Amino acid sequence: MFDLAREIWQTISNNKLRTSLTGVAVAWGIFMLIVLVGMTKGVINSFEEEVGSQGSNVLQVWGGQTTEPWHGYRQGRQINLKTRDIDAVGNSHNAKISDVSSVIYCTGVISTSEDYISSGFSGVYPSQLRRSGNKMESGRFINQSDLAERRKVMVLSEKNVELLFPGKKNQEVIGRKVEALGLAFTVVGVYGTQWNRTSYIPFTTAVMCQANSDDVGSIVVEMRDVETEADGKAVEESVRTVLAAQHHFKADDSGAVWISNRFLQFITMQQGMGILNATMWIIGLFTLLSGIVGVSNIMFVSVRERTHEIGVRRAIGAKPRNVLVQIVMESVAITALFGYIGILMGIGATELLAAAFDGQDFISNPRVDISLAVNVTVVLVVAGCVAGLFPALKALKIKPVEALRDE
Amino acid sequence: MIKLKNVNKTYPGAVPLHVLKDINLHIDRGELVSIMGASGSGKSTLLNILGILDTYDTGEYWLDGVLIRNLGENRAAELRNRMIGFVFQSFNLISYKDALDNVALPLFYQGVSRRKRRMLAMEQLERLGLADRAHHLPAELSGGQKQRVAIARSLITRPSIILADEPTGALDSHTSKEVMQIFRQLNAEQGMTIVIVTHDPGVGEQTNRVIRIVDGQIEKQGE
Repeated sequence: MFDLAREIWQTISNNKLRTSLTGVAVAWGIFMLIVLVGMTKGVINSFEEEVGSQGSNVLQVWGGQTTEPWHGYRQGRQINLKTRDIDAVGNSHNAKISDVSSVIYCTGVISTSEDYISSGFSGVYPSQLRRSGNKMESGRFINQSDLAERRKVMVLSEKNVELLFPGKKNQEVIGRKVEALGLAFTVVGVYGTQWNRTSYIPFTTAVMCQANSDDVGSIVVEMRDVETEADGKAVEESVRTVLAAQHHFKADDSGAVWISNRFLQFITMQQGMGILNATMWIIGLFTLLSGIVGVSNIMFVSVRERTHEIGVRRAIGAKPRNVLVQIVMESVAITALFGYIGILMGIGATELLAAAFDGQDFISNPRVDISLAVNVTVVLVVAGCVAGLFPALKALKIKPVEALRDE
Repeated sequence: MIKLKNVNKTYPGAVPLHVLKDINLHIDRGELVSIMGASGSGKSTLLNILGILDTYDTGEYWLDGVLIRNLGENRAAELRNRMIGFVFQSFNLISYKDALDNVALPLFYQGVSRRKRRMLAMEQLERLGLADRAHHLPAELSGGQKQRVAIARSLITRPSIILADEPTGALDSHTSKEVMQIFRQLNAEQGMTIVIVTHDPGVGEQTNRVIRIVDGQIEKQGE
C-alpha cells in the first residue's frame, strides 16, 4: 500500500503543472459544494431555531362563518369562540392534546404610590410562559390556582418594574400591590424579556374585565406525540368535531372555525428545507463534475503518453490488475488532494460567512460539520474512481508487446 | 530450456499472414544463442512468443518445463516476471525513476518489500559496476550505462532465460562490445541461458549458436 502510494506520488509529481491546473477545477468544485451546503445549513439552522423557540406542535383556532346550513341553522352564521370551548376541548380525552389555553388582551393603567404607566394586559394560562419564550427573573408565573380562584395576581416585565418601583430590585417587588383595571393586584413574579412589556394576569381574572362577555378571540391547542402529517391532521379534526358539537355546525365545515396548524406548516417547511438542501448538493456535485471530467481527461492524456511505459511494466510482470489499480488510484489521489484543498478553502469561506452573518436572523451558523466532511470524502473517492476508471480501462488494452516498439 | 514443437502463427486479416511456419527449436540450459533474420522474416513474432508477449496458433512451447499455451493475462504476467529477463533495444527504463528503482521494479510486482528490493537491486548494480550510478536518473546515464541498468533489471528476478531484443541496436560499436562482453560473462560464469535477437552479424558472431530465420522458417540450426 505504502509502495503503491510512493509509485503514484512519483507519477503525479512527474507532471506538476498539468496536475495542478487540472486539480484547480476539482478544488473549485468542492469549494462551491462546501459553500453552498454550508449556506443552506445556515438557513436551515435559522429556521429550526425560529421554530424551536415557538414550538412546532401548536394549533391555533379562531371563530369563522359556517358555509353550510346545519340542523335548521342557515349558512353564513358567525361562530364566536367562548371560554367554555376551552374546557370542552381540554376535556375531549384526546391523548395527543397536552394543553388548551387562550389569551385575552386588554389595556389599562397600572399605578403604584410612586408612579403609573399604561400597559397591555394578557389574561393567560400557565402554558403561556413556555410559548412566549420569556424567562422568570423572580417569583413565579400565573398558575392553575390563580385561574381556579380568579386571583388578582400579576406578573410584570422587568422594564415595567423599573418604572413602577424606581430603585427597587426584582425580588423586592414580589408581594407588593399595584392598582390596575380598577382592582388591586398582587405582584407575584417578574420576567425578563427583550421586546415584550405586557403584564400577565390569570385568564379567568381577565374575563371579568371584559364587560361580562365570555367571547375569546382564539384558542391555542398544544399537541404531544405528533410525528406524521396524519397525526397533525387527526388532532385538528378532533378539535373541529368538539367545537362543532358546541356550536352546532357540521363537523366537516371548514369555514366555521379557522385552524392554523403550525405542526403541518413545520412539516411542509421541513420538506422544503430538505429539497433546498438536496438542490444545493446537486448544484455542488454538478460543479464538481466539470472538475472530474477534467481529471478524467488528463488521465486519458497521461495513459496515452505512458503507453510505452505501461507496456514495459506489463512486459516485466505487471498484471492487468496492477495497471488498473495504479491508474485509478492516481486519479483518486489527484481528486482527493485537490479536493481537500477545496475543502479547506470552503471551510475558510464558511467561517468568514459565519462571522459576516453573525447575529442575523435568516442565516445562523453556516458552518460545515464533520458529517459533511465524511460525505465529501466519499464523494471525492467515488469521483476519483469514476474519473480514473475509463482511462484505466484504456490502459488495460495496452499489450506488453508495446515494450518492444521503438519510441 | 526452450522447446518449440511445430509452432505456427498467422496474423488474421483480409490476406492472412502466415508468419511462423512449423517452427521447431531447442535451446538448452546454459546456451548463448542468437536469432538472426531480416525484417519481416518473423523474427520479432518469434521473440514475442518466446517472451510470452504474444500467443501462437498451433504447436507447443515449453519454457523450463512449463507448457506456455492459452495462458490468462495474469498467469502470463507472472511467468514473464519470474522466468524471463527482458533486455530491450531502447533500454525501456522508466525515465522518472533512478537506476536503483528501475532495477528493483520487477520485484515490486512480486510484492517484495521496498527495503529488500533496493538491497537486491543494489547487489545487481554492484555486480555490473554501476553502484555509483544507483541514484542517477536514466537521462543522466550514457547509453552503455543504461543498457547495463536494463541488464541488472532483467537479472534481478533470477529468471530462467534472458531475452534480449537488439540489445546493441542503439549503441556505438565500442559500447556494443562492452554489452556483449557482459552477456558472455553472464553465460560463462553463471551459466545463464541467453537468447539475443539481432540483425547484426557482428553480434551473432559472439554467440555460441546462430539461428537464422527466413520467411517464417528456421533455415539452419547449428554452428
